[in-house]
Amino acid sequence: MIDLIAQSLFSGLLSGAYYALIALGLALVFGTMRVINLAHGELVLLGAYVSYTAEERLGLDPLASLPLALMVVIAANMVVYYLISLIKKDRELNSLILTFGIGVILTNAMLMIWSADIHSATTPWYHDAVILFDTLFAMQAELVFAGAGVVLVGAVWWWLEKTWYGRALRAVASNRDAAKLMGVDPRLTEILSFAVAGLLATVSGLALYTAKVIQPSLGHNLTVKAFIITVLAGIGSVPGVLLGAVLLGVVESLTVTIASSALQELAGMVLFLVVLLLMPSGLFGRAKRRG
Amino acid sequence: MTNAIKLAIFLVLAYGAVPLALGGNPYVIGLIVASLTIGGISVAWALLGNLGGMVSFGHAAFFGVGAYVSALLTMRAGWPVFPAMLAAGVGAAIASVATMPALRLRGPYFALAILAYAEIFRILATELKSVTGGAAGLLSIPRLPMVLGIDFGSKLGGYFVILTIVLLAMTGYQLIRRSPYGLALKAMHDSEDATKVVGVNSTMLKAWMLMVSAFITGVVGAFNAHYINFLEPDYAFAGLWTTLAIVSAIFGGYRTVTGPLLGAVVVYLVDQLLFKAILPQGHQIVLGVLLGAMILFSPGGLMPLLVAKFTRKEASHAA
Amino acid sequence: MLLELDGITVAFGGLVAVSNVSFTMAEGDVLGLVGPNGAGKTTLFNAVSGLVRPTQGRARLLGRDLIAMPIHARARAGIGRAFQVPQPLHELTVRENLIVASRFATGRIDNERIDEILDLLKLGHKAEAEASTALALTEQKALEVAKALATNPKLLMLDEVLAGLETAGKRAFMHTLDAVRARYGLALLIIEHDIETITRLCQRVIVLNFGKLIAEGTPEHVFNDSEVIRSYTGGEAA
Repeated sequence: MIDLIAQSLFSGLLSGAYYALIALGLALVFGTMRVINLAHGELVLLGAYVSYTAEERLGLDPLASLPLALMVVIAANMVVYYLISLIKKDRELNSLILTFGIGVILTNAMLMIWSADIHSATTPWYHDAVILFDTLFAMQAELVFAGAGVVLVGAVWWWLEKTWYGRALRAVASNRDAAKLMGVDPRLTEILSFAVAGLLATVSGLALYTAKVIQPSLGHNLTVKAFIITVLAGIGSVPGVLLGAVLLGVVESLTVTIASSALQELAGMVLFLVVLLLMPSGLFGRAKRRG
Repeated sequence: MTNAIKLAIFLVLAYGAVPLALGGNPYVIGLIVASLTIGGISVAWALLGNLGGMVSFGHAAFFGVGAYVSALLTMRAGWPVFPAMLAAGVGAAIASVATMPALRLRGPYFALAILAYAEIFRILATELKSVTGGAAGLLSIPRLPMVLGIDFGSKLGGYFVILTIVLLAMTGYQLIRRSPYGLALKAMHDSEDATKVVGVNSTMLKAWMLMVSAFITGVVGAFNAHYINFLEPDYAFAGLWTTLAIVSAIFGGYRTVTGPLLGAVVVYLVDQLLFKAILPQGHQIVLGVLLGAMILFSPGGLMPLLVAKFTRKEASHAA
Repeated sequence: MLLELDGITVAFGGLVAVSNVSFTMAEGDVLGLVGPNGAGKTTLFNAVSGLVRPTQGRARLLGRDLIAMPIHARARAGIGRAFQVPQPLHELTVRENLIVASRFATGRIDNERIDEILDLLKLGHKAEAEASTALALTEQKALEVAKALATNPKLLMLDEVLAGLETAGKRAFMHTLDAVRARYGLALLIIEHDIETITRLCQRVIVLNFGKLIAEGTPEHVFNDSEVIRSYTGGEAA
């Protein structure tokens, strides 16, 4: 039993790092523009499908398809940004409905292009097992992308805290007009945050494709997970995203081990509601979300 | 033309001409019933959005709860179908009480918290196998009964039932909108403090709107269960119920009482008759395009847009 | 006592907007609240009507604890409030504004009283006009008072309802307030800058400066107080 729990915690940590990759993109855009991009999960999936096509048609290793996937996903996210920027009134709620619509479009477009079949990476290396400390099992892909998750979250945190661009971004997030007066172009920083969110989505997509399976209808579920983590983290906390993601990963993983895999999603949802309703600023956040 | 005459013509068409003309075509009547079912959810969704100022992504929760309550009451407790459908509305309203802590949350958080509730309800319906039959679902749910020689269990009978449910829901919506409650809710959008200062308990009013909206959605869900005689959690709590209702309401104009129903009929019929034929897989892409386009170009819905175009033309002619 | 404030303190972070203010009002009292801009007058109103929560202190209306009540409950308990910047209920007509106030604060729509209020405040001819778009400034101010009156208050709090009106308008409005008081016999708590207006309307005045109550008494007494004059003129004169 102890072994099972240890394995469960370890798997939870690995999923957590991967969840953090998905969630950070959503949280970044939310932090800058107060827009929840409900198409974010679909963008992750889009990256995964580009990688699938590159492997299937061109025989490219999934990692080698990264540049191509980046171009497609970031371009798609620029379109999302452009459409959101057209909204004049009531942006908080209208952008929610707009990006929900974009999610429906992307899901169905992927269904048309790639059909409803389930795919996963065929390059065997990614699925090869690694045994750590004689007892803990992981796929190589899981380790690679958990590592990538931690590194990228760290990089984004460093970028927001320590660089001029990051400061500009945070200035826009807290006060758009004041940022303008300081010579920061809010549009530019918003575009930047969408580009970085696209990058994070692409890497998450590769992780999804190599370590798990892909199917067009999964996008919505990914968005919901990302939003749950954003809520757990609280607005404006990058380390919070990593911690929230790990918390979700571990809770899900323990639920599967102790109870049943059918209850995995339930655990996440209940955690989400409890934090949302009882902790006004998330576990690690600064801003409130009541009004 | 006065509104009373318009209403009379509409009723004659809806209860007379449509069934006379299409009653012999079960396929088309079936489609219309489905579109009215979505219309019912859409009216309920728009009531919450317009009066309560709340966007919900989880109305499937109330639809599913209503469906299961009515199915179980008729199958396990031997209730007659129509009272069970009313009880289903009450059941959905009670379920909405569980979601009320979310009323304190701001827009996007509320929208997604309700989605979480829908997911939780779906998983519970799957897991509580002894009550709900689990993922295998419930088979042979009693059909709508024969009353006074009219077989409500037929396709055409179902049409009359769902039409009546939706029209009653719209009447209720209109009555609330005209009442002091509706006035206070309207005022709350732009002047929340001023509304509270004259004694309006805004949280309580929103809670009532959530309950009314859940009630309507629950009755519609119950109707659907008895109409198709089958339920499973993934179907009863499917996100598509919410998606279609939102698209319909946004398309028809969620600030109006008639818009959501018109939107549902147009969107669903065009989707099923036209786009499904052209794009057998992924035809719902059209719903996404429609939703995005409406939000960007006419957030008030298509009907207000057409009305505005029309009146502008008239005005320019007059000038 | 109608209203009892005991040590009301309101702080926003480090900034203390209202500091340890205590006073009482009896039924039918007309009390003026004066002080320079930023003295905390409106914040004190907000604390009484429930829009901000005091950090410390107690407030009672007819012996009932106000602080524990949410905003709407205070309205029902008898607190009527007219905002400095008129806040009509949007998208509603003038009459509908009063209907909502009457229905939700008193539990029923008192049409007789609504008509009477519209009459008293000379809004009868605008009853069916949209409140947020079709009113002149004087009418907007009148609607602020009318809305508060429709809640059937025991205490009516007026936040600079005369500000911005020209002399004739001011005089007319003061007559209206006299008529309102004569008709309903309610207590008034009035924020006003204009000393002449205060002297004409109020039996008693309290002065706030930097959130503190610095003087209290009859208008004649208070406006001859050197500290009050200094606070008004920024400490240059006197």
